[in-house]
Amino acid sequence: MHTEASVDSAQPLPGDFAIWIFIFAELVVFGVLFGAYAFARSTHVELFNASQLTLNRAYGFANTLILVTSSYFVARATQSIKAGRGTACGNWLAAALGLGGMFLVLKLVEFHQDFAQGISLSTNLFYMFYLALTFFHFMHVVMGMAILAVVTYKAYAGRYSAANHTGVETGGSYWHMVDLVWIILFALVYVIH
Amino acid sequence: MKLLQTIPLRPCTASWLVLLGLTTITFELGSNAPSQVLMAAVLALTLVKGQLVVSYFMGLRRVRPVWRLVMAAYLAAVGGLIAIAYLTA
Amino acid sequence: MKYQSQKVAKPYFIAALALFVGQIVFGLIAGLQYLHGTFLFPELPFDVTRMSHTNLLIVWLLMTFMGAAYFIVPEEAQTELYSPRLALVTFWVFLIAAALTIVAYLFVDYAHLAAITGNAILPTMGRGYLEQPLPTKIGIVLVALSLLFNVTMTLIKGRKTSINLILVGSLWGLALLFLPAFYFPHDTVKASYAWWWVVHGWVEGDWELILGALLGFILIKMTGVDREIVEKWLYIIVAMTLISGLIGIGHHYYYTGAPSYWIWLGSIFSALEPIPFILLIAFSFKMLLQRRREHPNKAAMLWALGTPIMAFLGAGLWGFMITLAPAQYYMHGTNFTAAHGHLAFFGAYAMISLAIISYAMPLLRGRTANSAAAQRWEIAGFWIMVLSMLGIALALTGAGIVTVILQRAADDPMPFMQVQDKARVFFWVREFAGVGFFIGLLVYLRSFFIAGEYEYASEMKQALAA
Repeated sequence: MHTEASVDSAQPLPGDFAIWIFIFAELVVFGVLFGAYAFARSTHVELFNASQLTLNRAYGFANTLILVTSSYFVARATQSIKAGRGTACGNWLAAALGLGGMFLVLKLVEFHQDFAQGISLSTNLFYMFYLALTFFHFMHVVMGMAILAVVTYKAYAGRYSAANHTGVETGGSYWHMVDLVWIILFALVYVIH
Repeated sequence: MKLLQTIPLRPCTASWLVLLGLTTITFELGSNAPSQVLMAAVLALTLVKGQLVVSYFMGLRRVRPVWRLVMAAYLAAVGGLIAIAYLTA
Repeated sequence: MKYQSQKVAKPYFIAALALFVGQIVFGLIAGLQYLHGTFLFPELPFDVTRMSHTNLLIVWLLMTFMGAAYFIVPEEAQTELYSPRLALVTFWVFLIAAALTIVAYLFVDYAHLAAITGNAILPTMGRGYLEQPLPTKIGIVLVALSLLFNVTMTLIKGRKTSINLILVGSLWGLALLFLPAFYFPHDTVKASYAWWWVVHGWVEGDWELILGALLGFILIKMTGVDREIVEKWLYIIVAMTLISGLIGIGHHYYYTGAPSYWIWLGSIFSALEPIPFILLIAFSFKMLLQRRREHPNKAAMLWALGTPIMAFLGAGLWGFMITLAPAQYYMHGTNFTAAHGHLAFFGAYAMISLAIISYAMPLLRGRTANSAAAQRWEIAGFWIMVLSMLGIALALTGAGIVTVILQRAADDPMPFMQVQDKARVFFWVREFAGVGFFIGLLVYLRSFFIAGEYEYASEMKQALAA
């Protein structure tokens, strides 16, 4: 364990270092949003608990399963390209993109139902946070998918190899970040009360 | 997390299955009445899930300790912030 | 300088500096009017002084941005400017329009000016920073269109670098974001929305992208760091600027009649607005550490490194101080805002303007860098101006604290004019610091009149002897 780990653990962050600057900045942004939600709730506990019950937790649950699986596919894509299998890498990425699309569709259905009930940013403080946080995350899924789409195209075009796979790791790292913040967001907004 | 390495699966596949399981538990816990125990349980599960994504999907278990520390500190900070806000409510 | 057509930048930079001097003169008068309300009254009332001070600022910054675009776009695109003649004509139109507007402010009563310039047909006048009469506003649009046409055509026929795409893209944004200035409905809520779309859209959004592009260009040229690295940083900075700044506009919507959720959204997202400035600091110092050459223009490097630091202080720190809704509730319209405005405008936009001028002007005058003597004057000017501006900001912060304690947060609030008297010492400090700033500006300008080029040989000999 000790010898192997010490060799292994000397690696730099996967992908381009610049994406990590961005990921850390994004994590700070989401961290501030989560903190703001939690502290806003602490002064309106009843309101938050009551409003949270009106959400359909099943949507959040399904979307978490989808995004976690999508993130897993991206991890497999990275392993494939490290083994030099470009087409397999492309297939994993395409599957991950498909799941990203499913996430967006499901979230739009949920938004549609919210709006059909007349819920808006002005309804109350809980819905303001719920809509703002999930929409802000929604935009990150869109951006993550745009990045993955480019990486997928390049993977199928044979632009990556076992020796050159920084691009896959770069795009993948961002996608994992989108997954990571959703896991926290799901627990915070849909479940914890 | 060491347990994962003893299972004859790729570590990331095992993590994925654990993540699906923990997500299901989180979802099921949601139907309980509000309590601090519930909050602590869900928060703990979420931080474990987050650490799994960081270690096995992002692949940070292989990088320099300083980066693992940064991410662990982030999860601890966010979790701590949420816990404080809920306990002082 | 690689292309002849880049020379059109020169008159823009010179005019910008002349207007800068004008801005500071009006600033000094306005500062005196805080101490003696009747100074120069009725010839020059405070509102006209203030308006001239802020409008000259906007005009000279726009002048520099345009000059910078005409300088940078051809060099990055590796081709001559599409039409240098158009750029020159545009320069004179803009300068004359700006000068006429200021003269009109000074010699025509504002209400009368509104009447004779067709404000009744399409009302646009009266909001801060957007006081210009209708013909001037239309002129600004035409000048912007001419610039956009010229640089876009140049970009199309030449190399498309990220610096150029960000720069030209943000110049388009600058022009588009000016259009709400033409929307001034009776509904005060809608009117203030449109007002902030212009003002916030510029200074807390689009102009930050211009700043990033100019800084990126200067750093590529001066440090010799790979373009690829600089571009990655720029994209991250652009993204964080937009993520925080777009919704951050909510901090202008507090208590204006806008929906109350803006109190939360504005507070949270504007609290994140310092992030791009922190990234700018990290970026520029990382480039400095990775530099592959020692550029002889030390003064330009100083401006380039000073910009992100002062921008972080002025826009980031002083902005954060007043941006959260509970703080803004007490601080709104106090001298805290003036402190933030001074330090942010100077630290971010005046300094990046002086940085690009410092880098480009020697090249436009046919040398890589100015003589060591000229640079010593310029660097002295840098420090005097920077320290004086910090003095101005601290003095205004002091005045802001006095107002908040005695008038805003007090159980038994004091009347406004009494509070102004209590803050008098801070207004004196501000005026002295303002005089210091003016001296710094003169020292800086002196550097332009010292002839000669940077001499490697003689500098080396001196260094060895010492």
